[in-house]
Order: sequence, then structure tokens, then C-alpha cells
Amino acid sequence: MGVDDVPLDDKAKRMRDLLSSFYSPDPSMSSPDTTSSSSKRTTLDDINSSSFDPDQYMNLLVQKSNLERLLQRHVEMAAEIKNLDTDLQMLVYENYNKFISATDTIKRMNSNIVGMESNMEQLLEKIMSVQSRSDGVNTSLFEKREHVEKLHRTRNLLRKVQFIYDLPARLGKCIKSEAYADAVRFYTGAMPIFKAYGDSSFQDCKRASEEAMAIIIKNLEGKLFSDSESIQTRAEAAVLLKKLDFPVESLKARLLDKLAQSLADLQLNTEEISNASVDPKDLSQEESNPGSAPAATHEASVREFAEAIRAYRIIFPDSESQLIKLSQGVVTKHFEAIEEYVKKRICSTELLHVLRIIWTDVLLMDEVLDEAALPNYSMEAAKVAVKQYVASTFSRLLHDISDSLTRVHVKQKEGMREYSLQTALEASKKAVLQGSMDVLLDFRQIIEDNLELLVQLKPLIIDLVQEGFQDFFGALDDHFLLLSGGNNSVSQDQGFVEGTQVDKAFAGLVLVLAQLSVFIEQTAIPKITEEIAASFSGGGARGYEHGPAFVPGEICRIFRSAGEKFLHLYVDMRTQRISLLLKKRFTTPNWVKHKEPREVHMFVDLFLQELEATGCEVKQILPEGLRRHRRNDSNGSTNSSRSNPLREEKLSRSSTQRARSQLLETHLAKLFKQKIEIFTKVEYTQESVVTTVVKLCLKSLQEFVRLQTFNRSGFQQIQLDIQFLRTPVKEIVEDQAVIDFLLDEVIVNASERCLDPIPLEPPILDRLIQAKLAKTRDQNPVTP
Amino acid sequence: MQGTSSGIGYGLKYQARCISDVKADTDHTSFLTGTLSLKEENEVHLIRLSSGGNELICEGLFSHPNEIWDLASCPFDQRIFSTVYSTGEAYGAAIWQIPELYGELNSPQLERITSLDAHVGKIKCVLWWPSGRNDKLISIDEETLFLWSLDCSKKVAQVQSQESAGMLHNLSGGAWDPHDMNAVAAISESATQFWDLRTMKKTNSIERAHIRNIDYNPKKKHILVTAEDESGIHIWDLRKPKVPIQELPGHAHWTWAVKCNPEQDRLILSAGTDSTVNLWLASPSTSDEFTAESLLDSPTRRIDPLLSSYSDYEDSVYGIAWSSREPWIFASLSYDGRVVVETVKPLLSKK
Repeated sequence: MGVDDVPLDDKAKRMRDLLSSFYSPDPSMSSPDTTSSSSKRTTLDDINSSSFDPDQYMNLLVQKSNLERLLQRHVEMAAEIKNLDTDLQMLVYENYNKFISATDTIKRMNSNIVGMESNMEQLLEKIMSVQSRSDGVNTSLFEKREHVEKLHRTRNLLRKVQFIYDLPARLGKCIKSEAYADAVRFYTGAMPIFKAYGDSSFQDCKRASEEAMAIIIKNLEGKLFSDSESIQTRAEAAVLLKKLDFPVESLKARLLDKLAQSLADLQLNTEEISNASVDPKDLSQEESNPGSAPAATHEASVREFAEAIRAYRIIFPDSESQLIKLSQGVVTKHFEAIEEYVKKRICSTELLHVLRIIWTDVLLMDEVLDEAALPNYSMEAAKVAVKQYVASTFSRLLHDISDSLTRVHVKQKEGMREYSLQTALEASKKAVLQGSMDVLLDFRQIIEDNLELLVQLKPLIIDLVQEGFQDFFGALDDHFLLLSGGNNSVSQDQGFVEGTQVDKAFAGLVLVLAQLSVFIEQTAIPKITEEIAASFSGGGARGYEHGPAFVPGEICRIFRSAGEKFLHLYVDMRTQRISLLLKKRFTTPNWVKHKEPREVHMFVDLFLQELEATGCEVKQILPEGLRRHRRNDSNGSTNSSRSNPLREEKLSRSSTQRARSQLLETHLAKLFKQKIEIFTKVEYTQESVVTTVVKLCLKSLQEFVRLQTFNRSGFQQIQLDIQFLRTPVKEIVEDQAVIDFLLDEVIVNASERCLDPIPLEPPILDRLIQAKLAKTRDQNPVTP
Repeated sequence: MQGTSSGIGYGLKYQARCISDVKADTDHTSFLTGTLSLKEENEVHLIRLSSGGNELICEGLFSHPNEIWDLASCPFDQRIFSTVYSTGEAYGAAIWQIPELYGELNSPQLERITSLDAHVGKIKCVLWWPSGRNDKLISIDEETLFLWSLDCSKKVAQVQSQESAGMLHNLSGGAWDPHDMNAVAAISESATQFWDLRTMKKTNSIERAHIRNIDYNPKKKHILVTAEDESGIHIWDLRKPKVPIQELPGHAHWTWAVKCNPEQDRLILSAGTDSTVNLWLASPSTSDEFTAESLLDSPTRRIDPLLSSYSDYEDSVYGIAWSSREPWIFASLSYDGRVVVETVKPLLSKK
């Protein structure tokens, strides 16, 4: 089959090729195509190719093929040639055919064109006549058409007029069906006409429609204001109103005013909630149920507010700035409420609670109005609030401590001696330590809370707390000074009016302050430092300024020096009182005309009483020192030789000797003895303080004696008093040698200042002292 | 801080309380001191610092009839001085003239110019106007302030005016303002009173009890220094008499005397019954800007105002005096009669 097909195909192809080569001017264009295709098969046996070599082909054929095949080839060739022959004939025929038909066509064309000219002329004529006819028709119909057009215009105008006349009714209909949009469309359509002719022809109509429009506007306004309508309709109403050139701005202002008013309500709510939240919290830990009810209503109202904001944003797209202002106003008010709240005494949980409420509010509002940057805004406000909270907490702590201190004062004033200094000390110690710990705990709660608002503020809070403690202790120190009243220049510098403070600090308080300062330095500060290190240092982004915020070393230093100062002040105060007593004793009588001593003077009793009071106060506050039965004083200088026996002996001798030799002896004695250290450092022990007071008083006594001139009796009186003092004073001091020395010194000085220094005989001295002792023994049971 | 015993000593025979700089002696640094002995013959010593500055020479030794409680050298005549003395029962005051000395030291008699004998009460002190020649003299007893007009050549003193401070005030001393011839301060038990000598009226007062000594700052007007029994030394500005402008801790026992340096207005010397003499350097801002500055540094006054403490005394120190000729030198007198002259030059140069 394929064999049959191929030659047929080949044949047709060749035909086409031939034809095309015939028509195409360039045979080379098509020939390569055929040659290439055929040469693919055979190059040599392709007769069609230009390079065909018949001899070679013959040779090849003869060589390759056998006879049979050659014969077959021959037959094939013959057939092929015949085929080609017929093909050629056909080609010729065809070409001829075509030629003939072409000639025919040309002939026909020729004849056709000959008749065309006359036809054309005819056509032209006809067209001309058509045109003239049409012109005629046109002119004849022109007038009528004009008229028709005029009529049409009038009808349109009339229709418009009709529309305008119908407008009020139509508007009324619209109002009825609440199709405000249509109404507005109608009205705005009619507007230009009203503008042009409203004053003359359509006056009534205009009025009527304006009335209708007024109703519409009113309705729209109502819609805008009614909260029950959907936001969409309200927004539409706003748009329509705007289209009507209605002063929407004022409307908006009014709406916002309304919103603001509702905010005021909201604000009140907040306070109620915060107030309400206090009570259940105070009662116990069951915070959820009673507390959450107002919280829920509050949240609902805030949600409402947020909704309103959302609505207004849609209704008035350009109202953002006002809304932002409003919502910031809400936040500000919230924080103002907090500030109010902080002024009251609240604990951190309450603060946290309120902060949390505010934060949820803020978040709610932020959802609808994120341009307001409310979280940032509230962050700033929270910063302030927390700062204030920290400050107020510390000031309250200060207040507490000062309360517990001044209570001593007040109670004593009221005559309640039972309220001992010891309890005051314990109370204030507790106030300091426990108070500080509570404050720290409080702050830790704030820090550990995971409220987003506070998490971001954590470093700040840490800094604040540290700073707060630093300042607090500074303030405490100042306050102590103020309480002690000793350093009036400081208090005046700070502008305090002393009258408002305790008018005159009494000595016990100063002693309490001294010991409290030591306590703060040695116990409270390390504990607080520890606590701060534990929970207030891991504050993430704490700045470089964190370093010096809380410096326990500095505070310790301040309180160490303050403690010493107060101790000195206490000693001074006590000494001053006794000093006054002594001064009165020595300046009042005329010593030159003194009468013979009959008994121990009563100033000794007062003196001992004061010492006893001091001892009593000191015992309550200060720790007991090691009672050192030492004859040496703290400096280690030996001075025992200067005390008793020698001096006594000398004194008794001096009754007969001249004072001059006595003085010489004193000088000589001094040459050989080391100077006694009277004024040693005061320590925080009962004995040390009492001893210091006694020493200072005896020294004062000595100085007072030196300022007087005595007669013999005066001298003897002094001798008697001092002799009596010796035993009870020595009982309460730790350094008896110094006391002995000082007492002797008083007697020596008195003898020096005596015109006739003859001492009392020891037996008389003894008797008088015994009498005095007996007297006090008698008195003691009566007055404990 | 502890003063080394660089001081030059001089011993009096008896106990003594008062020492005074002889201001009128411009050629030598000299001091006058008098003893306080109830029963012995009391002496007045004129001590001169040798030209080498390393020795105290007794230039004159004069017997004085009674024990001396106060002694003041006349600021314009080196031979004249005043004393307040006690006979044991009564007090008196007198103006003395040192006789011309011709190298002899054998206790010539002092020449008594006049006695200030209008006093009834216990005389406390006699004041000369410190800044120059003035024929007025003030004496203060427990109750009354006397203004005397003194004529040395005629050897008379007349009471020009007197005013009682009131029975209960119990005056104990005073100071004459070197800047104002008409202003004098008197210490009483409860306050320091300021008097105008023209009217003899009180003009001002510092309500502060227990003041023991007072001294005007010779360089700065309105500034004065007081010493108190217990609470140390206070510096006051008279224009603001309510609050002291500075407080110095003073001494371990009473602060007995204070003296401002005649040249260095910040340098203050104090003597106490704790047997020490302290040298203080007041804070520089002793004027109006003080308040602002004190707010800054008062909580922790870092600079210790105590320059030096001289503790090389055996007994209470009652007398101190700056030399006006060599203002870096002061003399101190302890109760046991020991005069010690010290120089503060090394301390000043350090500053």
C-alpha cells in the first residue's frame, strides 16, 4: 500500500513543484528544497537534482543490481517517463486553458467599460434631482420642526415646574416612607431653581419644601443622635446632613459634648469602683465576687464608650483628633483618680487592681482608636502615678516612724510614765524594719505583677524604689534631727517652723533616736540592702544611673554619725539640766558669809535624782556594757596615785599648813603624774553614758567652785556634800578612778578658793553623812 | 590635729585666768597677765616674745593688791591697763599705769590712775574700745553697764552714763564693737544684749542662754562669735539674730573663751575647761550667700572646721589672746598659771 502511495505522492508533489517553478521567477528558491529532501534518500539516483549524472547512475545501477532488478528498474523507468510525459502534457493544457480564459476576461472587461460612462452620467443626474427634492422638503418642514422643538422644550420646563410644585408633597411622602436619601436628592436637585427663582415665583413652594426639609433635617438629626439606630444609618444621616449644607461641625461638637458628658459619668464610675474595690479587699482575700460586680459594670460602660468612639469615627471621619483628646481625657481622669486614691492609704494590690482596670479600659479604647497612642499615653501617666505612689509610701513610712517616736513624747506629756522608752524604741525599731520590709514587699508585688503596663515600667520602678529608699533615709535623718531639736540651724535652714514640731525634745527621745540610728545602721540597712539586691536589681534595662541610686554605705555613714551626734546630744541635754542645778546652787548663796554646815545640802539629792533618771532612761535603751572594775582610765594612763589616799592625807594636813605649800604640792604632784583623761569617747553602753554625764557634771562642779570665794563654812559645806556624793556616784559609774579624781579636785579647788580652808573633822563629817543617809532611808519607803 | 608642743612656755607663780595682748606696743609682741590668788601677793606680768620668737621674757613684774579676775590692756597706750579684782568679799576695778622702767625688774609699784568705784555689784569686766584712741571706757557689773569718760593725764574717770540691765539678767561679760564706737554687746544669763551707748538703750538681742564669752569679728562688720557652756561656738550675723550662721562643736566641756583673729576673719580661737585650745577655720561664706550654700553642704559638712587642737595643758584654759602685732601668734593661759605662746603659721601656710 505504502509503495503505491509513495509514487502517487511523489507525483503530485512533483506536479506542484513543476507548476510552482513555472510560475515562480526564481527556480532556485524551490529547487534546493526538493533536492535536499530527495538527496536525503539518495543523492545519486535522484534524477531531479541538477547534479544528476546519468552515466554514473547507470554504472551504479548496473553494478549494484542484478538483472531482474535492472529489468524491473527499466520498467519502472519507462512508467515513470510515461507519467512525466502526461504530466507535461497536462501542464501545457492547463496553461493554455488559463491563457484562454484570461483573454476572455479581458475581452469582457473591455466591452463592459464601454457602457459604463453613460450609466455614470445617468446616476449623476439622478442624484442631483434627489438633492433638489430633499432641499425642497427640508425647507417646507423647517417651520414645523421649529415649533415642535419649542413645544418640547416647554413641556420639559413644565415638567420641571411640576416637579418643583410637587416637591413639598413628594418630600412629605418621602418623610412618611423615611426615604430621606431620595428626599435629599430631590431637594438638592431643586436647589438651583430655588436659588434662582426662590424669591419670586416659587416662594410658596420653596417655603413648603423648606419646611419639609426642616422636618427631614430634624429627623436626620434625631437619627444621628439616637443611639438605638444602627451605626450605618447614623452615618448615612450624617452624610445626608452634610449634603444639605447643614452645619455638621456644630452637630459633631454637640455629639462629642454628649460623649464627653457620658465620660464624666464613666469617670464617676471609676471612682466608685476603686472605692468599692477597697472594701472587699480590706475585708479579706475573697476579692473576686463582691469586687467584680462594679468592675463588670465599669467594663461595660467603657465598652460602650469604645463603641461610641468607633461609631463616631465612622460617622465623622474627621473627628479623630477630638476623639483622641477625649479618650486621653478619660485616661488622664483615670490617673487623676489614681492620684487621689494614692493619697489615701492603699496597698499595692489595690493600686494594681485600679491600674488593671485602667489598663483594660485603655486596651479597649486602643482597639477602636489606635491613633491616640493611648498605651503610651497611659504609660506616661502610670509612670507619674507609680512615682507618686512610691513617694507617698515612703512619706507614710516616715510618718509612721515619727509617729511611733513622738508617741513617747505625747504619752509622757499626758503623764503616763509607764509608757517606757523601751517600748518606744521597740516600736520604732519595728516601724523602721517592718515598715521598710512591708514597703519592699509592696513594691515587689507591683514589680512581679505581669500587667503589661507595669512590666514596661519595671526598670523605672526599680530605680524609683532605690532612689526612694535613699531619699527616705536622708529624710529620716533630717527628721530625727528635727525631732531632737538639737540642731536648730538645720531645722531652720529647711524652713520648718519649730513650733509645729515637738516644742522641746526631751532627753529620752534623743536617746531613743541615738539607739535607733545605730539599729538602722547595723540591722535595718543590711537587711534592706539584701532585700533590694534580691528583688530590685534584676530590672532588665536599668540605666547607668542605677548605680548610685541606693548607696547603703552612705546611709550607714549618715546614721553612724547621726547616732553619735544624738548620743552626744543626750549627754549634753542631761548634763545641761544638772549644770543648771549646780549653777543655781553656786550662784545663789553668798559663800563668803556661809553658815556652818548642818547637813548635806539638798542639791545633792537633786543631783542624784537626775543621775538616777538618766540611769533609768539609759537602762531601757542601751545595752549593758562590760562592767570594768578598773582603776585605769581608757587611755591607760596611770593616775591612781593622784587619787584618794595621798590627797586625803594632804587635805587633812592642809588644815594646818599654808595654802601656798599646798599649791606647790599640787604643782609638784602634777609634774609627776600623767594627765588624766577625763573626756573619753562615749560608747553605746549604759555605763559609758552615765559615766560621761557624771564626769561632765563633776567637771562643771569644779568649774563653778573655782568661780566662787568661800569662807570656812562654805568650804566645809562643799567638802561635806562632795564626801556624801562619793559613794552613790561611784556605784553607778564604770571608771571610779576618774570620779575620785574629779571629786578630789572639787575639794582641792574649793580649798584654794577658801579664805580659811580648814576642813571638817572626819568624825563630824561622818556623823552628818550618816544623818543624811538615815534621813533618805526614812524617806525612801514613803516615796518610792 | 593634735598640736605638738611647739609652744613657748612661761610660768606664773600662781593660778591665773586672764591674759591680754598689749596692742599699743608696736615694737614688740607682748602680753599682760595677772594672777588669781586669794591669799598670796598677786602679780601682773608683762611678757615679751624675744626677737627670735623662741623665748618669753618677763619684761616687768608688778605686784597687784588683789587677785585679778579681768585684765585689759589699753589699745592706745602700752603702759596703761585695767583690772577687775576681788578682795574675796568685794569686787573692784582700776586703771593702772606701768611705771617707766629703766631696766630694773625689782617689782616697782604700779601706779593706779583711777578706780572705777561706782559699782555696787560684782564687776565682771572693763572694756576698751579695741580700734583706737577713745576716751571712753565701759565697765560691766552683774546688773549695770557704766560708760566712763577717762582722762589719763588728769587721772580721773567719771561716770558718763549708766544703765541697768535689770535685776534678773545677771550680766557676765561683754564686748565692744570695733566697727562702731557706740555699740556694745553684753552677755546676760538668758541673752546677749546690744546697747547703743549714745542713748543707753537696748537695740537688739540674741536670745540664747548660757553664753560665756563673746567676741566681735574685727574684720567683718555685724559678725560676732559666742561661746557657750555646752553647745559650743556659734557665729552670728547681727542682721539675722535669730539663727546662728554657723555652729562649731566647741569643747568637750565648757567653751570658756573665743577670740577672732585680728587679720584672718575666718580664724577663731577657743579655750575650754577641757584643758584644750582649739583653732577653728569658719566656713568662708560668713556673709549673705551663706544661706544658699549652707543648704548644700550643711547635711554633711565634709570639711572639718577644726584646724588644730592644742591639748598640752594641765588645767582648764581661761585666757587666750591673739597678738595684734604678729597675728599668727596667740598666747594662752591655763589655770595653773602657765602661759603658752603658739604660732599658727605652719597651719595657715598649709591651707
